[in-house]
Formats: sequence, structure tokens, C-alpha cells
Amino acid sequence: MATPNLAKPIGARPVAAKAVKADTSQISQGRLMVRRFMQSKLSVFGGIALIIMYLLALFAPFFAPYDINEIDTNYQWSGPSSLTFAGGWPGICGVKQTLDQKNFAWVYTKDCTQSNPIQLFVHGSTYSVLGLFNSDLHLFGVSKLAKIYIWGADSQGRDIFGRILVGARVSLSVGLVGVGFSTILGSILGTASGYFGGIIDNLMQRVIELISSIPTLPLYATIAATLPHDISVTQRFFLITVVLSLVTWTGLARQVRGKVLGYRGADYTSAARLAGASHTRVIMNHMLPNAVSHIIVVAALAVPGAILGETALSFLGLGMLPPAVSWGVLLRDAQQVQVVTTYPWLMIPGAAVIAAVLCFNLLGDGLRDAVDPYG
Amino acid sequence: MTALETDVQRRAGAVNPNDNLIEVKDLHVHFHTTLGVVRALNGVSFNIPRGRVLGIVGESGCGKSITGLSIMQLVGRPGKIEGGEVLFNESGDKPVDILKIGRHSDEMHHIRGNSIGMIFQEPMTSLNPLFTVGKQIEEAVLLHQTQNHEEARRRAINILDKVGMPNPQRIADSYPHQLSGGMRQRAMIAMALSCTPTLLIADEPTTALDVTTEAQILELMRDLQKEIGTSIMFITHNMGVVAQMCDEVAVMYLGKVVERATVDDIFYDPKHPYTISLLRSIPRLGSQRHGRLDAIKGSVPDPYSTVTGCPFHPRCPSFMPGLCDTLVPAETRVEAEHLHTVRCHLHPGSTVLGKFGSSGGVAAEGVVPDAVNAPSYASEPMVIPGSGGGTVNNSAEPNLTPGDVDDGAAPRVNRK
Amino acid sequence: MLNYIIRRLLYMLVTLCFVAIISFMLLDLTPGSYLDTEISRLRQAGGNLSDGQVAALKIRYGVGDPFPLKFGKWIVGVVQGDFGQSFEFSVPVSSLIWGRLAFSLILATSSIIFAWLISIPLGVYSATHRYTIPDYIITVLQFVGVAIPEFLIALVLMVVSASVFHADVGGLFSPAYADAAWSGAKFADFLKHVWIPIVVIGASSTAWLTRVMRANLLDVLNAQYVQTARAKGLGEGLVIWKHAVRNALHPLIMAAGGILPALISGEVIASIVLNLPTTGPLFINALIKKDTYLAVAFLLLLSVMLVVGNLLADLALAWVDPRIRLE
Repeated sequence: MATPNLAKPIGARPVAAKAVKADTSQISQGRLMVRRFMQSKLSVFGGIALIIMYLLALFAPFFAPYDINEIDTNYQWSGPSSLTFAGGWPGICGVKQTLDQKNFAWVYTKDCTQSNPIQLFVHGSTYSVLGLFNSDLHLFGVSKLAKIYIWGADSQGRDIFGRILVGARVSLSVGLVGVGFSTILGSILGTASGYFGGIIDNLMQRVIELISSIPTLPLYATIAATLPHDISVTQRFFLITVVLSLVTWTGLARQVRGKVLGYRGADYTSAARLAGASHTRVIMNHMLPNAVSHIIVVAALAVPGAILGETALSFLGLGMLPPAVSWGVLLRDAQQVQVVTTYPWLMIPGAAVIAAVLCFNLLGDGLRDAVDPYG
Repeated sequence: MTALETDVQRRAGAVNPNDNLIEVKDLHVHFHTTLGVVRALNGVSFNIPRGRVLGIVGESGCGKSITGLSIMQLVGRPGKIEGGEVLFNESGDKPVDILKIGRHSDEMHHIRGNSIGMIFQEPMTSLNPLFTVGKQIEEAVLLHQTQNHEEARRRAINILDKVGMPNPQRIADSYPHQLSGGMRQRAMIAMALSCTPTLLIADEPTTALDVTTEAQILELMRDLQKEIGTSIMFITHNMGVVAQMCDEVAVMYLGKVVERATVDDIFYDPKHPYTISLLRSIPRLGSQRHGRLDAIKGSVPDPYSTVTGCPFHPRCPSFMPGLCDTLVPAETRVEAEHLHTVRCHLHPGSTVLGKFGSSGGVAAEGVVPDAVNAPSYASEPMVIPGSGGGTVNNSAEPNLTPGDVDDGAAPRVNRK
Repeated sequence: MLNYIIRRLLYMLVTLCFVAIISFMLLDLTPGSYLDTEISRLRQAGGNLSDGQVAALKIRYGVGDPFPLKFGKWIVGVVQGDFGQSFEFSVPVSSLIWGRLAFSLILATSSIIFAWLISIPLGVYSATHRYTIPDYIITVLQFVGVAIPEFLIALVLMVVSASVFHADVGGLFSPAYADAAWSGAKFADFLKHVWIPIVVIGASSTAWLTRVMRANLLDVLNAQYVQTARAKGLGEGLVIWKHAVRNALHPLIMAAGGILPALISGEVIASIVLNLPTTGPLFINALIKKDTYLAVAFLLLLSVMLVVGNLLADLALAWVDPRIRLE
């Protein structure tokens, strides 16, 4: 009976550790975040959809068949064109405009026997591509004899589809620019508040409290009402983003302050300070890199609020004003219930708002879960 | 392996046929996570004799707590009990397989709290912050013992007094946040014992406490155990606590019990290299002053990975290439020692064919490991599983036929 | 506790004073005043206003006063319940606002109750049935609910009821009852109308609270004391409703303070589309027409609503949580 000598082998022989597969502890934090984000299919979908939306907005005149300010009295409140395959190739039905004498409204009768084939890469109105060169190429269109309105026309026969694409430029960038402002403001003030504490912190907290004790939309509206009317579209756009960021920065500052407060108590911060690092160095090298992912997440989740804010303001007539085009401005046409009941396609810009906000929420959620799976 | 287990049980049973309050057999629990399947328990088997204290020891992540939760059927998503038996013999004559009772059935609710009490690791979070301590104890009493609220309150105060609370009336009306950690743990013990359960599962009850409080709580538990006669399953990673508290010990590693013995045997005659390493890593009084403390090499493998053969082999100081990394050692009774079992190829009887590679679900391939190099086996015949079920011998005559392996008869390697 | 409430009330008063200063300042900054519009209207009407008359008007409206004096006069009046004169309607502001504020308050309160009643069961169901089809449906609805602006929901509801049911659902009363005195019939008519604004205003809050509830409950379900409750032998229903949900309500109450601004904002904008006799239409109109005193009064009182709401939420929190109550 050879009972092995237990005492001897221990520590006496080299251990042949066997490699084990899929060692998750070896993946860098960044890769792990990307992996977690990619796992959330909805967030990836939201991100891709947003990229597409921004591209559509950027090259709006190419995707829109007509100039968005082109008025056409033959198609006032004309509904979305109907698709027909009568010609063997997808085309749109012809429409005929008649005046309903009793209700005094335009009535459109469609005639699907006569198909206007949809053409790709047609030449039409001239536009500037990113301010670099001019082009008159449009993705699709029909012959000059008819007009294609895939999402209908407004009271002046303007193409709603094209106007939504162009309106996206304002609506989608107002969110980004506004949140950009408030991120910068919120990060600086939040960091200062959390890092230095004392009077600065106290003051900041009172200011934030003050701003948050006024209901959001009435505050937006009141500030927006003070904006002068005789300014250019660009100036107004800029001022509206400022108005939006004046309120949204408080949320960001709160979050950043909380984070910084946590880091301030951390040992590595004390160690850096003891080693002689300046406040700037501690903030820039030790705190911000830690907080940056959280700032991005909070910012991403603040964008929908800004988009909704602009839409609401413009809808009330206090935000962007015609001739500027934004989704809120377009929805102003849909303010009268009677009108919308007759011409329901006037509500399509609302669908665009919902889609954009939804995608930003999905993206922001995915980012948050990826950055802070336990938060 | 099954044959062997019954063998061990039969012998154990010979001493006292109704000895075991609870018998866990080949318990498997898996966690299905997005990153992969974690095999938290991989065939855990042990028993707790009536009225005794069994210590379950092991490093973090070895499955100690999951074992406790499995007995209560409280393993939550994404964990799932995949197989095994938990035979609970409360009355002493008819064992019930807890795992066969529905998780949410009345019968299970009756066992939880009434027959089996449980104490958790974190006294700070294991009491509901919104209810007074008294109300929380009364809740259990009202559920299992009496319908009368006054009676329940009397019992709650009585048990609080028993666990050494200075002013039980006042404590009963306190909210958890008004008590210190030690007090809360006493309250938890009071709650767990309020219905005088036959088994108490204590999941690291003193880990979160300071040393003085720990000593008090351990003394309290020991006293109450003697008084009430409750069996205790004491989960801990602290060998010192084991020495103080337990009658018997089961050492766990990566979801398996690797050694099971009385507390004396574990401390004075450990058999498994892991147990030995664990004991060596404890600092002790009177040891060489400048000597370095032995640490166990490496760390517990990544939970998503799979380890073939003996789960401890990558860290084992007595690793035998070709054997330990391919073949899962079976539970063997240590010769002549009552109730001392071990799972290690160093011990006669552990190297068993018929079932292999189950620790990671990866079956050993039919490659012949160079077992000749293993010191203790140099001159012994080795039987290695082949892909076709055949046996291979290294330089010595085979003593098994292929048919034995295919029959799954769990033949043993014959060693002398 | 009493100390805490008194401290909070004092705090609130200070905050509101600043809100008053800020809102007054904001509107005073507005280029042009109601007087300019008024003067041009009078001139158009044919009257030839002399400079003396203009000066008299300026004094009457207090337009020429320096800011501190104007503010001082106004705030003294506010303390006595006099919010100044509406330029546009030429009546005291206080005669215009109270009725509308009362409706706003009713709508906001009902919406929050509505949101709670719907979101708690939905959130609990969603959290306890994670990764099932109903959970996915609730999650999708909740995402969409957060993304839809209130005025769009209002529009869609109006259009649907107009085109499908041929019923006008705008307003809070049928025309027959609009100016009638309160009676049983009028109240029934009110109930028939009021659910649409409640749903519209409460929708996004419901979605948001469902989400908060689900996330909190998932957190709480991982807490040790829930496991303790199960280990005691309690049934799953009791474990969830008695031990888990009650703990998950805290962040929900805190969130209630957080959704108040959204609720009030939603009320303002939805009431314009739904044509409700609440603050929204009059407030926005006052802003556009630069009817300063009217707008400031609304802004201030909406803020009071918000601040008092927050205080109530904090008190509710202390009420349910002994850790805060016994501090």
C-alpha cells in the first residue's frame, strides 16, 4: 500500500498550469464596454438609425425630390401619392384637382390608369452640397407632368417629405449643440462644485435648486419670449440652443458633481495631491478621464429632452419661426384638430420626432449599461 | 462512482441507520449567463448527521453559498438546479427529496423558515429596513407557529432575549438601521431560530463582523445549538472559525466537495492537497517568525472556463501530468478512517474510470497521458479512458477489459 | 421632523422669492411692452394720442418706472394677493388665474395618481416576469411613451375621436355646461371630458415611472432581505408585495418629485391642443402678447405648485421610510 508522501510533493514540483480558455479578465475595460454595448441589439439599432437620420439630414436636398420652399398651388394639401404598378414599373397615380364648392376645399381625384413611373437620379432644382459645390441631382422623382409627394403636401403644396428631411437639420442639431453647450457648462461647474466644495458648492447647489423649481417648459417659453423677433434664422437657432442648455446643464452638473465628490474621497486622488500634483492636474489627469464615460452617457440621455424642448417651443410659436424649417415648425400646421382630421399626413413630422427621441433613448440606455452595468 | 458512494454510505449507515438529517447527493447547479454557462455546483455530495455542525469551507466562488441556497430551493435566476438530490429527513424515518418539491409549493414554504432556518452573510442588508425587528421575527412565527399576534410577539421577544439582546422589548420595536452589525446578526439568528428549525444554514454569519463580535456570535450559536439541538450547516472560508464551531468539515473547491472528515481529521490528518494548502496558508502562533506564509499558487480559474480532470490540478503542488488533467478523481473513503472521504488521485480508489472530465463537461480525449512520470504511479499499471472505450497500459499488463468501461461499471484502478 | 418641515418651508419661501425676481426680470427684459402694442392699436383706431396721453398711459401701466421700484410695487401687491393688472384683458390678474390654476392642479394631481396606479402594477409585473413577451411589450410601450411629446398624443387622440367617433373631445365641458353652475350633471360631464387630458398628461410620466419601478424592483429583488423573507417561508406574492415593492417605492416617490416639472410642462402644452380652460393657453398667449403681470403670475404660481409638490414628495418619503423619519 503505497500511500503517497503528502508532505513532500507540495511546493517541490513545478506546477504545470494548464491554459484555460476564454479568460474574460484579460479584456481591457474599453473592449469590455464595446462588447457589452454590442450585445444590446436595440442600442446598436438606435445608433445605426441615428447615423442614417443624420446622413439624410445632411444630404436632404439630394434625397428630397423638390426644393422645399417650392410653392405649387396645384397641389395644395394634396395627399401622399399612391403607388401603382400599372406601367410594369413602380410609378405614381396621376391626380386631378377640383374645388369642392360646398366646403370650399380642394378635392383630389386619383387616376391610376395613367402611371407616372418613378425615375432614379433625376435632375431638378439646384442645391449646394455641404457648401462645396452645386448639384441638381435628386435621388428620385417623376416626369415634369406630375409631382411625387410620398408624405403629402402642405397648405402651399410644398413637399412634406423634403421639409421633414431639411427640418431634421435644425431639430437634430439643436439637440446636439444644446446638449454640447450644457455638457461643457455642466462639466465645468459640476467639477468645480464637487472638487472645491465649500461656498462654491453651496452657491452652485442653490442656483441649480432655483432653476429646477421653475417648471421646465414654462421656463423655456418665458426665456424664449424675451428673444427679439428681428434676428436671422441662424441667430435664432443659436439663441434657442442657449435657452435649452440654460436649463439642461443643471442635470449634468449634478451628475458630474456626484462623480467628482466620489473621486475626491478616493485614495488615488489624495495620493496625487500628496505627491504634489496641482488641482488642475488632479482634475484633468485623475478625475475627468474617470468621469468622461459617465458624462457621455448623461449627455446622450439629455439629447431627447432638448429635441422635445425645441419641438414644443416651435410648436407654440416661441422657438424657431418660419421661414426656418424644423419639426416643431412643421407641426405648427397640425395645431388645428379640424385640419389634421382632414389632412392627417400633417402629423408625419411628429413621427420623425418620436423616431429620433426613441433612437437617442435606446442609444443612451445601451451606453449607460455598457459603461456602468451595475449602475 | 455510484457504487463507491453507496459503499461509503452503507458503512456510515452501519453505525447509525438514521444518522443523517440531510443528505445532498450529486447536486448540480448551473448559471446560464450571457457570457456562458457557469457550472457553480458540479456534483456536490455530503451529509449532515443529526445534531451535528458541519462546516463547509472553501475559497470565494467555490459554490458554498449556492449549496446552502439550493437546499432551500432559493437559487435565483439565472441559476438553475440541474440535477441531484437533497434528502431531508426531519422526522427521522422518511427522508423527503427537497428538490422534488415545487419551489413555490406550500410544502416548500413550510420547510423554509420552519424546518430549515437560514442566516446570511451581510447583517447590514439581510433585515428589511422598513419593518421593526420584532415585526420581522413575528412574521415568521405567525407563518409557522401560531395565529395569535400577542403570542407571536411574546415569542419574538423571548427569542430576542435568548440571543442575548440586552433589552428585548426595546429591540423588538427598533428598526434595523438603529442596531449595530453584531446586534443585527443576533436579530437574524433570532429570526432563523424563532421556529426552532431542525437545520440551520449559516452562510458566513460572522464574516462581516469584527473579531470580538464574531467570537460572541460564535459562542451564542454554539450554545443555542447545544440547547435546541439544531443541526448546523456552517458555511465559511475561515479555518479558525471551523475549528471553533464545527464537528465535521466538508472542503469545497470549484463546485465539488474535495474532502470530507471530522474536524480533527481535517486539521491533523488532511488528505487532499487543497486542504493541506488551505491549512498551510493560515498564520499560526509559534511558527517560525521570519518564515513566509504559504499561499496557494494561482487563483480560482475563471468561472466561464472549463477545467478538465481534477478541478484543482492547475494549482496543485502534487500535480501529476496526464492523470490529474484528464481524469476526474472519484470520492474515496480513506482507509480505516471512518467518514473521511477525499477526491484526489493521490489516494487509492480515486482514479476511477467510467465517468470523466465532468468538472468542465469536457471529456478526456483518447490520448494516452504520460502517466509514467507521476511519481507515485511509476511502476503501477494505469488505466486511461480511450475514445473507443479501450484501455491502454503503460509498460504493465492491463487489468481491465474494454467491456468494463463500456458498461459504466465504474471499475477501480487496482493499486497495491 | 417638525423642525425639518419648518426648515423646508423657509427654504421654499426664499427659493420662491428668487423665482419671483428672476421671472419678473426676464419678462421686464422683453423688448417692447404691451403698451407699444396698445398705443399703436389706439392710434389705428383713429385716436390721435398726444404725448401727454402717452405719458399718462405709461404712468398707469408703470412702464417707465425703474426695475427695483416696479418690482417692489409688484411684490408688495403679491403678498396681499394682488398680482397686478392684465394689460390685455384690463382686469386684475388674480381674477383670471385662480380658476385656471385650480383646473391645472386637478389635472396634474389626477395625472400623477393615474401614472402611479398604472405604472406600479406594470413595473412589478415587468420586473417579476423578466424576459417574457409581456415584459418586452411593456418595455417597448414604455420607450415609445417616453418619446412621444404630449401635444402629439393629444392631437392623435383628438383626431381619432373626431374621425372615428365623430365626437369633439376637446375642453373640459360640453358647450352646454361650460358656463353653467356646478351641479351633478355638470360634474358628470366634466368626468366624461377629463380623462383625455389625464391620459395625455400622464402618459409619458406613466412610461417613465414604469421604467423606474421595474429597475428599482429588479435592484431590490437582489437585496439580501428579500432572500431573508423567502428563507422565512413567505410565499412569493408576499415576498414581492410586502418586502420588495415597499422598498422599491422610495425611488419612485423621489421620481415623483422629478416628474412634476414634466407633468406641469405637459399640462401647459397639452391644454393648448385640447383647448382646456387651464393655465397653458392663457400663459403662452400672455407671453406672446407681452402681458407681463399675467405671465409672471402664472410662472410664479406654477413654480409654487412644483415646489410644494416636491415638498410633499419628500414628506411622503419620510413617511414611508423609517430611516429618514427617525433621523
